[in-house]
Amino acid sequence: MATGPTTGTDGRPAAPTGTARRRLAMGALLVLAVGWSITGLEVTVDRLLGAPGDAWDIFRRMFPPAFAEAAERGVVGKVFESVHIAWIGTLIGALASLPLAFLAAGNVAPAWVRVPVRQLFNVIRAVPELILAMILIPITGLGPWAGALAIGVHSIGTLGKWATEAIEGIDEGPLEAVAATGGRWASSMRWGVLPQILPVVTSQWLFRFEINVRASAVLGMIGAGGVGSELVSQLVFRNFPAVGAVLLMTIVVVLAIDTVSAAVRRRIIRGAGRAPGDVVGGDRNAAVLVDLTGIGR
Amino acid sequence: MNGPTVAARPTRPRPGARTWVIVGVLITYTVFAGRQVGFDISTFWNVWSNPLWEKFWPVPWDWVLDWHNVLDPLLETFQIAVVATLVGCGLALPLAFIMSPLTSPNRPTMIVSRSVMNVVRAVPDLFWAKLLVTAVGIGAFAGSWALSVFSLAVMVKLFSETVDGADPRPLEAARATGGRHLPVIRTGVLPTVLPEYVAYGLYVFELNIRASVVLGLVGAGGIGRVIEAQRQYFRFDRVLGILLLVFVVVIVIEQVSVAVRKRLV
Repeated sequence: MATGPTTGTDGRPAAPTGTARRRLAMGALLVLAVGWSITGLEVTVDRLLGAPGDAWDIFRRMFPPAFAEAAERGVVGKVFESVHIAWIGTLIGALASLPLAFLAAGNVAPAWVRVPVRQLFNVIRAVPELILAMILIPITGLGPWAGALAIGVHSIGTLGKWATEAIEGIDEGPLEAVAATGGRWASSMRWGVLPQILPVVTSQWLFRFEINVRASAVLGMIGAGGVGSELVSQLVFRNFPAVGAVLLMTIVVVLAIDTVSAAVRRRIIRGAGRAPGDVVGGDRNAAVLVDLTGIGR
Repeated sequence: MNGPTVAARPTRPRPGARTWVIVGVLITYTVFAGRQVGFDISTFWNVWSNPLWEKFWPVPWDWVLDWHNVLDPLLETFQIAVVATLVGCGLALPLAFIMSPLTSPNRPTMIVSRSVMNVVRAVPDLFWAKLLVTAVGIGAFAGSWALSVFSLAVMVKLFSETVDGADPRPLEAARATGGRHLPVIRTGVLPTVLPEYVAYGLYVFELNIRASVVLGLVGAGGIGRVIEAQRQYFRFDRVLGILLLVFVVVIVIEQVSVAVRKRLV
Protein backbone atom coordinates (compact mmCIF):
# COMPACT_ATOMS: atom_id res chain seq x y z
CA MET A 1 0.00 0.00 0.00
CA ALA A 2 2.26 2.75 1.30
CA THR A 3 5.39 3.41 -0.70
CA GLY A 4 8.30 4.77 1.28
CA PRO A 5 8.10 6.32 4.72
CA THR A 6 5.24 8.74 5.06
CA THR A 7 6.17 11.84 6.99
CA GLY A 8 3.92 13.55 9.48
CA THR A 9 3.52 17.29 9.83
CA ASP A 10 6.28 17.66 12.44
CA GLY A 11 8.82 15.76 10.37
CA ARG A 12 8.62 12.60 12.44
CA PRO A 13 7.97 9.39 10.57
CA ALA A 14 4.37 8.31 11.00
CA ALA A 15 3.69 5.31 13.18
CA PRO A 16 3.30 2.13 11.16
CA THR A 17 -0.33 1.58 10.23
CA GLY A 18 -2.25 -1.43 11.41
CA THR A 19 -0.19 -1.95 14.55
CA ALA A 20 -2.77 -0.41 16.82
CA ARG A 21 -5.55 -2.54 15.37
CA ARG A 22 -3.44 -5.69 15.63
CA ARG A 23 -2.57 -4.88 19.22
CA LEU A 24 -6.22 -4.34 20.02
CA ALA A 25 -7.10 -7.69 18.44
CA MET A 26 -4.36 -9.49 20.38
CA GLY A 27 -5.41 -7.81 23.60
CA ALA A 28 -9.05 -8.73 23.05
CA LEU A 29 -8.03 -12.33 22.35
CA LEU A 30 -6.02 -12.51 25.57
CA VAL A 31 -8.84 -11.01 27.63
CA LEU A 32 -11.29 -13.46 26.09
CA ALA A 33 -8.98 -16.40 26.78
CA VAL A 34 -8.52 -15.40 30.40
CA GLY A 35 -12.21 -14.70 30.87
CA TRP A 36 -13.14 -18.10 29.49
CA SER A 37 -10.47 -19.80 31.59
CA ILE A 38 -11.47 -18.18 34.84
CA THR A 39 -15.02 -19.44 34.44
CA GLY A 40 -13.74 -22.98 34.90
CA LEU A 41 -11.64 -22.39 37.99
CA GLU A 42 -14.32 -21.94 40.64
CA VAL A 43 -13.03 -18.47 41.36
CA THR A 44 -15.06 -16.30 43.67
CA VAL A 45 -14.10 -12.86 44.81
CA ASP A 46 -13.53 -13.81 48.42
CA ARG A 47 -11.51 -16.88 47.40
CA LEU A 48 -9.36 -14.69 45.21
CA LEU A 49 -8.87 -12.14 47.95
CA GLY A 50 -8.44 -14.78 50.65
CA ALA A 51 -5.91 -16.96 48.83
CA PRO A 52 -2.78 -14.87 49.40
CA GLY A 53 -3.67 -14.67 53.07
CA ASP A 54 -4.18 -18.44 53.31
CA ALA A 55 -0.89 -19.12 51.54
CA TRP A 56 0.94 -16.64 53.74
CA ASP A 57 -0.59 -18.17 56.85
CA ILE A 58 0.79 -21.62 56.00
CA PHE A 59 4.13 -20.14 55.10
CA ARG A 60 4.29 -18.32 58.43
CA ARG A 61 3.41 -21.41 60.42
CA MET A 62 6.43 -23.21 58.91
CA PHE A 63 8.71 -21.00 60.98
CA PRO A 64 10.70 -21.89 62.89
CA PRO A 65 11.32 -25.13 60.97
CA ALA A 66 11.50 -28.22 63.20
CA PHE A 67 14.87 -29.51 62.03
CA ALA A 68 15.41 -31.74 65.05
CA GLU A 69 12.10 -33.51 64.56
CA ALA A 70 12.69 -33.89 60.84
CA ALA A 71 16.19 -35.24 61.38
CA GLU A 72 14.84 -37.75 63.87
CA ARG A 73 12.41 -39.00 61.24
CA GLY A 74 15.30 -39.54 58.85
CA VAL A 75 14.45 -36.75 56.41
CA VAL A 76 18.14 -36.18 55.66
CA GLY A 77 18.42 -39.75 54.45
CA LYS A 78 15.26 -39.30 52.38
CA VAL A 79 16.61 -36.20 50.67
CA PHE A 80 19.75 -38.10 49.73
CA GLU A 81 17.65 -41.03 48.61
CA SER A 82 16.05 -38.63 46.11
CA VAL A 83 19.52 -37.72 44.86
CA HIS A 84 20.46 -41.41 44.51
CA ILE A 85 17.24 -42.08 42.60
CA ALA A 86 17.94 -39.16 40.27
CA TRP A 87 21.52 -40.34 39.68
CA ILE A 88 20.62 -43.93 38.88
CA GLY A 89 17.65 -42.79 36.80
CA THR A 90 19.81 -40.38 34.80
CA LEU A 91 22.38 -43.13 34.18
CA ILE A 92 19.72 -45.53 32.95
CA GLY A 93 18.33 -42.83 30.68
CA ALA A 94 21.78 -41.85 29.45
CA LEU A 95 22.93 -45.39 28.65
CA ALA A 96 19.70 -46.23 26.86
CA SER A 97 19.35 -42.96 24.97
CA LEU A 98 22.87 -42.65 23.54
CA PRO A 99 22.72 -45.64 21.15
CA LEU A 100 19.15 -44.72 20.22
CA ALA A 101 20.21 -41.17 19.39
CA PHE A 102 22.59 -42.52 16.71
CA LEU A 103 19.63 -44.28 15.13
CA ALA A 104 17.54 -41.10 15.22
CA ALA A 105 19.98 -38.57 13.75
CA GLY A 106 19.25 -37.47 10.21
CA ASN A 107 22.86 -37.39 9.04
CA VAL A 108 23.89 -40.88 10.15
CA ALA A 109 20.74 -43.02 10.08
CA PRO A 110 18.43 -43.97 7.20
CA ALA A 111 14.86 -42.69 7.28
CA TRP A 112 13.22 -46.04 7.98
CA VAL A 113 15.12 -46.34 11.27
CA ARG A 114 15.05 -42.66 12.11
CA VAL A 115 11.32 -42.04 12.01
CA PRO A 116 10.22 -44.79 14.42
CA VAL A 117 13.02 -44.01 16.91
CA ARG A 118 12.05 -40.33 16.92
CA GLN A 119 8.42 -41.19 17.47
CA LEU A 120 9.53 -43.40 20.35
CA PHE A 121 11.28 -40.39 21.93
CA ASN A 122 8.13 -38.29 21.48
CA VAL A 123 5.88 -40.90 23.04
CA ILE A 124 8.21 -41.36 26.01
CA ARG A 125 8.42 -37.62 26.58
CA ALA A 126 4.67 -37.35 26.61
CA VAL A 127 4.23 -39.76 29.53
CA PRO A 128 5.05 -38.02 32.82
CA GLU A 129 7.35 -39.76 35.34
CA LEU A 130 4.51 -39.95 37.82
CA ILE A 131 2.37 -42.02 35.47
CA LEU A 132 5.32 -44.28 34.65
CA ALA A 133 5.97 -44.78 38.36
CA MET A 134 2.34 -45.75 38.90
CA ILE A 135 2.62 -48.40 36.21
CA LEU A 136 5.95 -49.66 37.57
CA ILE A 137 5.04 -49.85 41.23
CA PRO A 138 3.07 -53.12 40.85
CA ILE A 139 6.21 -54.80 39.44
CA THR A 140 8.89 -53.31 41.65
CA GLY A 141 6.88 -52.69 44.77
CA LEU A 142 6.74 -49.35 46.53
CA GLY A 143 10.17 -47.86 46.91
CA PRO A 144 13.04 -46.04 45.30
CA TRP A 145 13.63 -48.56 42.52
CA ALA A 146 10.26 -47.74 40.96
CA GLY A 147 11.20 -44.06 41.02
CA ALA A 148 14.65 -44.65 39.54
CA LEU A 149 13.19 -46.73 36.71
CA ALA A 150 10.43 -44.22 35.99
CA ILE A 151 12.95 -41.40 35.83
CA GLY A 152 15.27 -43.52 33.71
CA VAL A 153 12.61 -44.32 31.16
CA HIS A 154 11.31 -40.77 31.01
CA SER A 155 14.84 -39.38 30.63
CA ILE A 156 15.36 -41.51 27.51
CA GLY A 157 12.91 -39.23 25.70
CA THR A 158 14.54 -35.88 26.38
CA LEU A 159 18.13 -37.13 26.47
CA GLY A 160 17.59 -38.96 23.20
CA LYS A 161 16.14 -35.87 21.57
CA TRP A 162 18.95 -33.63 22.78
CA ALA A 163 21.66 -36.12 21.79
CA THR A 164 20.06 -36.50 18.34
CA GLU A 165 20.30 -32.75 17.88
CA ALA A 166 23.94 -32.83 18.99
CA ILE A 167 24.72 -35.53 16.42
CA GLU A 168 22.93 -33.62 13.69
CA GLY A 169 25.06 -30.58 14.42
CA ILE A 170 28.46 -32.24 13.99
CA ASP A 171 31.20 -31.43 11.55
CA GLU A 172 30.92 -34.05 8.78
CA GLY A 173 34.67 -34.02 8.02
CA PRO A 174 35.69 -36.78 10.44
CA LEU A 175 32.86 -38.96 9.09
CA GLU A 176 34.31 -38.64 5.58
CA ALA A 177 37.78 -39.35 6.92
CA VAL A 178 36.65 -42.61 8.50
CA ALA A 179 34.76 -43.54 5.34
CA ALA A 180 37.93 -42.83 3.31
CA THR A 181 39.90 -45.34 5.38
CA GLY A 182 37.23 -47.94 4.65
CA GLY A 183 35.63 -47.89 8.07
CA ARG A 184 32.24 -49.42 8.64
CA TRP A 185 29.21 -47.61 10.05
CA ALA A 186 30.04 -48.57 13.64
CA SER A 187 33.62 -47.29 13.35
CA SER A 188 32.53 -44.02 11.82
CA MET A 189 30.14 -43.53 14.71
CA ARG A 190 32.80 -44.41 17.28
CA TRP A 191 35.64 -42.34 15.77
CA GLY A 192 33.83 -39.78 13.63
CA VAL A 193 30.83 -38.81 15.76
CA LEU A 194 31.30 -39.82 19.37
CA PRO A 195 34.38 -37.69 20.16
CA GLN A 196 32.59 -34.64 18.75
CA ILE A 197 29.38 -35.00 20.69
CA LEU A 198 30.69 -36.38 23.98
CA PRO A 199 31.23 -33.03 25.77
CA VAL A 200 27.81 -31.72 24.76
CA VAL A 201 26.07 -34.97 25.59
CA THR A 202 27.78 -35.22 28.99
CA SER A 203 26.60 -31.75 29.89
CA GLN A 204 23.11 -32.68 28.74
CA TRP A 205 23.21 -35.65 31.10
CA LEU A 206 24.23 -33.39 33.96
CA PHE A 207 21.47 -30.95 33.13
CA ARG A 208 18.96 -33.78 33.06
CA PHE A 209 20.34 -34.89 36.43
CA GLU A 210 19.47 -31.47 37.87
CA ILE A 211 15.92 -31.81 36.53
CA ASN A 212 15.70 -35.38 37.79
CA VAL A 213 16.59 -34.43 41.35
CA ARG A 214 13.42 -32.33 41.43
CA ALA A 215 11.44 -35.04 39.67
CA SER A 216 12.53 -37.73 42.11
CA ALA A 217 11.56 -35.53 45.05
CA VAL A 218 8.08 -35.34 43.53
CA LEU A 219 7.94 -39.09 42.90
CA GLY A 220 8.08 -39.70 46.64
CA MET A 221 4.61 -38.22 46.83
CA ILE A 222 3.15 -41.38 45.32
CA GLY A 223 5.46 -43.70 47.23
CA ALA A 224 8.31 -44.14 44.77
CA GLY A 225 11.04 -43.31 47.28
CA GLY A 226 12.64 -40.07 48.32
CA VAL A 227 11.67 -36.95 50.17
CA GLY A 228 8.20 -36.42 48.68
CA SER A 229 6.56 -38.95 51.01
CA GLU A 230 7.78 -36.97 54.02
CA LEU A 231 6.30 -33.75 52.67
CA VAL A 232 2.95 -35.40 52.06
CA SER A 233 2.72 -37.10 55.44
CA GLN A 234 3.74 -33.97 57.35
CA LEU A 235 1.17 -31.95 55.40
CA VAL A 236 -1.52 -34.51 56.19
CA PHE A 237 -0.76 -34.08 59.90
CA ARG A 238 -0.63 -30.31 59.33
CA ASN A 239 2.70 -30.38 61.12
CA PHE A 240 3.91 -27.19 59.43
CA PRO A 241 7.24 -26.71 61.23
CA ALA A 242 8.28 -30.16 60.03
CA VAL A 243 7.05 -29.29 56.51
CA GLY A 244 9.24 -26.20 56.65
CA ALA A 245 12.24 -28.31 57.62
CA VAL A 246 11.61 -30.81 54.80
CA LEU A 247 11.23 -27.98 52.28
CA LEU A 248 14.36 -26.19 53.42
CA MET A 249 16.47 -29.34 53.30
CA THR A 250 15.20 -30.09 49.81
CA ILE A 251 15.91 -26.56 48.65
CA VAL A 252 19.45 -26.61 50.04
CA VAL A 253 20.30 -29.93 48.39
CA VAL A 254 18.69 -28.96 45.08
CA LEU A 255 20.51 -25.61 45.00
CA ALA A 256 23.82 -27.23 45.90
CA ILE A 257 23.47 -29.79 43.13
CA ASP A 258 22.39 -27.13 40.62
CA THR A 259 25.41 -24.99 41.45
CA VAL A 260 27.97 -27.80 41.28
CA SER A 261 26.45 -29.31 38.17
CA ALA A 262 26.28 -25.95 36.38
CA ALA A 263 29.95 -25.34 37.19
CA VAL A 264 30.93 -28.76 35.86
CA ARG A 265 28.85 -28.25 32.73
CA ARG A 266 30.52 -24.91 32.12
CA ARG A 267 33.92 -26.53 32.55
CA ILE A 268 33.05 -29.33 30.14
CA ILE A 269 31.69 -27.08 27.41
CA ARG A 270 34.12 -24.16 27.63
CA GLY A 271 37.23 -25.82 28.99
CA ALA A 272 39.46 -24.54 31.76
CA GLY A 273 40.95 -21.11 32.13
CA ARG A 274 38.04 -18.83 31.32
CA ALA A 275 36.06 -16.81 33.74
CA PRO A 276 32.49 -17.99 34.22
CA GLY A 277 29.78 -15.97 32.51
CA ASP A 278 32.01 -14.56 29.80
CA VAL A 279 29.92 -15.65 26.87
CA VAL A 280 28.04 -12.64 25.61
CA GLY A 281 24.84 -11.94 23.81
CA GLY A 282 23.09 -14.31 21.49
CA ASP A 283 25.26 -17.34 22.23
CA ARG A 284 24.21 -17.36 25.82
CA ASN A 285 20.50 -17.06 25.10
CA ALA A 286 20.69 -19.79 22.54
CA ALA A 287 22.53 -21.98 25.03
CA VAL A 288 19.91 -21.44 27.70
CA LEU A 289 17.08 -22.13 25.30
CA VAL A 290 18.75 -25.30 24.09
CA ASP A 291 19.44 -26.22 27.69
CA LEU A 292 15.89 -25.91 28.80
CA THR A 293 13.98 -26.88 25.74
CA GLY A 294 16.18 -28.98 23.54
CA ILE A 295 14.62 -27.09 20.66
CA GLY A 296 17.83 -26.16 18.90
CA ARG A 297 18.94 -22.86 17.50
CA MET B 1 67.18 -45.06 13.22
CA ASN B 2 67.66 -44.09 9.59
CA GLY B 3 66.35 -45.38 6.30
CA PRO B 4 62.94 -44.50 4.91
CA THR B 5 61.37 -41.82 7.02
CA VAL B 6 58.50 -43.48 8.71
CA ALA B 7 57.21 -40.97 11.18
CA ALA B 8 57.02 -42.49 14.63
CA ARG B 9 53.44 -42.87 15.73
CA PRO B 10 52.69 -40.18 18.28
CA THR B 11 52.17 -41.65 21.72
CA ARG B 12 48.61 -41.79 22.78
CA PRO B 13 47.81 -39.33 25.55
CA ARG B 14 47.17 -41.17 28.80
CA PRO B 15 44.53 -39.92 31.19
CA GLY B 16 46.09 -38.26 34.21
CA ALA B 17 45.79 -39.22 37.86
CA ARG B 18 43.00 -36.70 38.38
CA THR B 19 40.86 -38.34 35.71
CA TRP B 20 41.23 -41.71 37.41
CA VAL B 21 40.26 -40.22 40.75
CA ILE B 22 37.14 -38.64 39.24
CA VAL B 23 36.20 -41.86 37.44
CA GLY B 24 36.79 -43.84 40.64
CA VAL B 25 34.63 -41.51 42.70
CA LEU B 26 31.82 -41.60 40.14
CA ILE B 27 31.86 -45.40 39.90
CA THR B 28 31.91 -45.75 43.68
CA TYR B 29 29.01 -43.36 44.03
CA THR B 30 27.06 -45.13 41.30
CA VAL B 31 27.49 -48.50 43.00
CA PHE B 32 26.52 -47.00 46.34
CA ALA B 33 23.47 -45.20 44.91
CA GLY B 34 22.48 -48.34 43.04
CA ARG B 35 22.44 -50.33 46.27
CA GLN B 36 20.53 -47.56 48.02
CA VAL B 37 17.73 -47.52 45.47
CA GLY B 38 17.61 -51.31 45.31
CA PHE B 39 18.83 -51.65 41.72
CA ASP B 40 17.43 -54.91 40.44
CA ILE B 41 18.25 -55.90 36.89
CA SER B 42 15.59 -58.63 36.84
CA THR B 43 12.93 -55.92 36.64
CA PHE B 44 13.90 -55.38 33.03
CA TRP B 45 12.59 -58.79 32.00
CA ASN B 46 9.93 -59.01 34.69
CA VAL B 47 8.42 -55.91 33.15
CA TRP B 48 6.88 -58.09 30.45
CA SER B 49 5.17 -60.35 32.95
CA ASN B 50 3.50 -57.43 34.70
CA PRO B 51 -0.07 -58.55 35.42
CA LEU B 52 -1.14 -54.96 34.77
CA TRP B 53 -0.46 -54.97 31.06
CA GLU B 54 -3.63 -56.81 30.09
CA LYS B 55 -5.63 -54.23 32.02
CA PHE B 56 -4.47 -51.60 29.52
CA TRP B 57 -6.39 -52.96 26.55
CA PRO B 58 -8.81 -52.43 24.87
CA VAL B 59 -9.22 -48.69 25.30
CA PRO B 60 -12.88 -47.83 25.99
CA TRP B 61 -13.08 -44.97 23.51
CA ASP B 62 -16.74 -44.20 24.10
CA TRP B 63 -15.95 -43.63 27.78
CA VAL B 64 -12.82 -41.60 27.04
CA LEU B 65 -14.45 -39.35 24.46
CA ASP B 66 -17.38 -38.63 26.73
CA TRP B 67 -17.88 -34.96 27.51
CA HIS B 68 -18.51 -35.37 31.18
CA ASN B 69 -15.87 -38.02 31.92
CA VAL B 70 -12.80 -36.68 30.21
CA LEU B 71 -13.30 -33.72 27.90
CA ASP B 72 -14.59 -31.40 30.57
CA PRO B 73 -11.65 -32.01 32.95
CA LEU B 74 -9.33 -31.71 29.94
CA LEU B 75 -10.82 -28.30 29.25
CA GLU B 76 -10.22 -27.43 32.88
CA THR B 77 -6.57 -28.41 32.40
CA PHE B 78 -6.41 -25.88 29.57
CA GLN B 79 -8.03 -23.20 31.63
CA ILE B 80 -5.49 -23.77 34.39
CA ALA B 81 -2.66 -23.60 31.87
CA VAL B 82 -3.96 -20.40 30.23
CA VAL B 83 -4.46 -18.53 33.48
CA ALA B 84 -1.17 -19.76 34.94
CA THR B 85 0.76 -18.80 31.81
CA LEU B 86 -0.68 -15.31 31.77
CA VAL B 87 -0.25 -14.67 35.49
CA GLY B 88 3.23 -16.20 35.58
CA CYS B 89 4.49 -14.49 32.44
CA GLY B 90 2.84 -11.21 33.39
CA LEU B 91 4.66 -11.11 36.71
CA ALA B 92 7.85 -12.32 35.08
CA LEU B 93 8.12 -9.26 32.84
CA PRO B 94 8.84 -6.67 35.56
CA LEU B 95 10.74 -9.22 37.67
CA ALA B 96 13.10 -10.09 34.86
CA PHE B 97 13.93 -6.41 34.39
CA ILE B 98 14.57 -6.07 38.10
CA MET B 99 16.82 -9.12 38.05
CA SER B 100 19.02 -8.22 35.13
CA PRO B 101 22.11 -6.12 35.90
CA LEU B 102 21.44 -4.13 32.74
CA THR B 103 18.05 -2.82 33.81
CA SER B 104 17.88 -3.32 37.56
CA PRO B 105 16.94 -0.20 39.56
CA ASN B 106 19.64 -0.93 42.14
CA ARG B 107 21.96 -3.70 43.24
CA PRO B 108 20.27 -4.79 46.50
CA THR B 109 16.89 -5.25 44.76
CA MET B 110 18.58 -7.28 42.08
CA ILE B 111 20.39 -9.57 44.50
CA VAL B 112 17.33 -10.11 46.68
CA SER B 113 15.04 -10.87 43.75
CA ARG B 114 17.60 -13.23 42.23
CA SER B 115 17.99 -15.21 45.43
CA VAL B 116 14.24 -15.40 45.98
CA MET B 117 13.70 -16.70 42.44
CA ASN B 118 16.48 -19.26 42.85
CA VAL B 119 14.77 -20.61 45.95
CA VAL B 120 11.37 -20.62 44.25
CA ARG B 121 12.82 -22.58 41.36
CA ALA B 122 14.47 -25.08 43.68
CA VAL B 123 11.09 -26.27 44.98
CA PRO B 124 9.70 -28.95 42.65
CA ASP B 125 6.44 -27.99 40.89
CA LEU B 126 4.24 -30.58 42.57
CA PHE B 127 5.53 -29.51 45.99
CA TRP B 128 4.10 -26.09 45.20
CA ALA B 129 0.85 -27.71 44.14
CA LYS B 130 0.62 -29.77 47.32
CA LEU B 131 1.39 -26.76 49.52
CA LEU B 132 -1.18 -24.59 47.79
CA VAL B 133 -3.79 -27.32 47.86
CA THR B 134 -3.28 -27.40 51.62
CA ALA B 135 -3.54 -23.62 51.75
CA VAL B 136 -6.53 -22.82 49.53
CA GLY B 137 -8.30 -26.15 49.24
CA ILE B 138 -8.54 -28.93 46.66
CA GLY B 139 -9.41 -27.96 43.12
CA ALA B 140 -8.41 -26.14 39.98
CA PHE B 141 -8.01 -22.88 41.88
CA ALA B 142 -5.03 -24.24 43.81
CA GLY B 143 -3.72 -25.78 40.61
CA SER B 144 -3.69 -22.50 38.74
CA TRP B 145 -1.89 -20.89 41.66
CA ALA B 146 0.76 -23.57 41.76
CA LEU B 147 1.27 -23.49 38.03
CA SER B 148 1.49 -19.70 38.10
CA VAL B 149 4.39 -19.93 40.54
CA PHE B 150 6.03 -22.57 38.36
CA SER B 151 5.57 -20.49 35.17
CA LEU B 152 6.94 -17.45 36.92
CA ALA B 153 10.06 -19.34 37.95
CA VAL B 154 10.75 -20.77 34.49
CA MET B 155 9.84 -17.59 32.63
CA VAL B 156 11.99 -15.37 34.81
CA LYS B 157 14.93 -17.69 34.28
CA LEU B 158 14.54 -17.72 30.50
CA PHE B 159 13.62 -14.10 30.00
CA SER B 160 16.12 -12.48 32.37
CA GLU B 161 18.86 -14.21 30.36
CA THR B 162 17.46 -12.47 27.28
CA VAL B 163 17.45 -9.12 29.04
CA ASP B 164 21.03 -9.72 30.20
CA GLY B 165 22.03 -10.19 26.59
CA ALA B 166 20.06 -7.25 25.18
CA ASP B 167 21.88 -4.59 23.20
CA PRO B 168 22.86 -1.90 25.75
CA ARG B 169 23.18 0.90 23.19
CA PRO B 170 19.49 1.88 22.83
CA LEU B 171 19.40 1.90 26.62
CA GLU B 172 22.34 4.28 26.78
CA ALA B 173 20.71 6.50 24.18
CA ALA B 174 17.50 6.65 26.16
CA ARG B 175 19.41 7.39 29.36
CA ALA B 176 21.35 10.12 27.59
CA THR B 177 18.11 11.93 26.81
CA GLY B 178 17.54 12.18 30.57
CA GLY B 179 14.71 9.66 30.73
CA ARG B 180 13.69 8.19 34.04
CA HIS B 181 14.12 4.52 34.82
CA LEU B 182 10.80 3.09 33.64
CA PRO B 183 10.46 5.06 30.38
CA VAL B 184 14.09 4.23 29.60
CA ILE B 185 13.41 0.51 29.91
CA ARG B 186 10.13 0.85 28.05
CA THR B 187 11.75 2.49 25.02
CA GLY B 188 15.33 1.24 25.25
CA VAL B 189 15.05 -2.46 26.08
CA LEU B 190 11.47 -3.66 25.84
CA PRO B 191 11.12 -3.41 22.04
CA THR B 192 14.29 -5.45 21.47
CA VAL B 193 13.31 -8.27 23.82
CA LEU B 194 9.56 -8.42 23.23
CA PRO B 195 9.60 -11.06 20.46
CA GLU B 196 11.61 -13.42 22.65
CA TYR B 197 9.30 -12.70 25.55
CA VAL B 198 6.32 -13.84 23.54
CA ALA B 199 8.21 -16.87 22.25
CA TYR B 200 9.20 -17.96 25.75
CA GLY B 201 5.63 -17.32 26.89
CA LEU B 202 4.40 -19.80 24.31
CA TYR B 203 7.02 -22.29 25.40
CA VAL B 204 5.92 -21.90 29.03
CA PHE B 205 2.36 -22.54 27.87
CA GLU B 206 3.47 -25.86 26.37
CA LEU B 207 5.22 -26.76 29.61
CA ASN B 208 2.11 -25.83 31.57
CA ILE B 209 -0.13 -28.07 29.49
CA ARG B 210 2.22 -30.96 30.20
CA ALA B 211 2.54 -30.07 33.88
CA SER B 212 -1.16 -29.53 34.48
CA VAL B 213 -1.76 -33.14 33.45
CA VAL B 214 -0.08 -34.32 36.66
CA LEU B 215 -1.36 -31.54 38.91
CA GLY B 216 -4.55 -33.47 39.51
CA LEU B 217 -2.58 -36.29 41.12
CA VAL B 218 -2.12 -34.12 44.21
CA GLY B 219 -5.65 -32.75 44.11
CA ALA B 220 -5.03 -29.62 42.12
CA GLY B 221 -7.69 -30.11 39.47
CA GLY B 222 -7.63 -30.83 35.75
CA ILE B 223 -7.38 -34.10 33.88
CA GLY B 224 -4.96 -35.56 36.45
CA ARG B 225 -7.86 -35.81 38.88
CA VAL B 226 -9.58 -38.25 36.51
CA ILE B 227 -6.36 -40.20 35.91
CA GLU B 228 -5.82 -40.57 39.64
CA ALA B 229 -9.40 -41.73 40.24
CA GLN B 230 -9.29 -44.31 37.44
CA ARG B 231 -5.92 -45.56 38.61
CA GLN B 232 -7.31 -46.21 42.04
CA TYR B 233 -10.02 -48.35 40.44
CA PHE B 234 -7.27 -50.09 38.39
CA ARG B 235 -9.00 -48.98 35.20
CA PHE B 236 -5.73 -48.70 33.33
CA ASP B 237 -7.53 -49.02 30.00
CA ARG B 238 -9.22 -45.72 30.73
CA VAL B 239 -5.94 -44.23 31.93
CA LEU B 240 -4.30 -45.25 28.67
CA GLY B 241 -7.17 -43.74 26.69
CA ILE B 242 -6.83 -40.44 28.53
CA LEU B 243 -3.07 -40.46 28.07
CA LEU B 244 -3.41 -41.06 24.32
CA LEU B 245 -5.90 -38.21 24.02
CA VAL B 246 -3.67 -35.88 26.02
CA PHE B 247 -0.70 -36.95 23.91
CA VAL B 248 -2.47 -35.99 20.69
CA VAL B 249 -3.59 -32.64 22.12
CA VAL B 250 -0.12 -31.83 23.47
CA ILE B 251 1.48 -32.67 20.12
CA VAL B 252 -0.96 -30.45 18.23
CA ILE B 253 -0.39 -27.51 20.59
CA GLU B 254 3.34 -28.02 20.43
CA GLN B 255 3.35 -27.99 16.63
CA VAL B 256 1.36 -24.75 16.50
CA SER B 257 3.45 -23.15 19.21
CA VAL B 258 6.76 -24.16 17.61
CA ALA B 259 5.60 -22.76 14.27
CA VAL B 260 4.60 -19.44 15.85
CA ARG B 261 7.85 -19.28 17.82
CA LYS B 262 9.94 -19.86 14.71
CA ARG B 263 8.22 -16.91 13.08
CA LEU B 264 8.74 -14.71 16.11
CA VAL B 265 12.43 -15.16 16.80
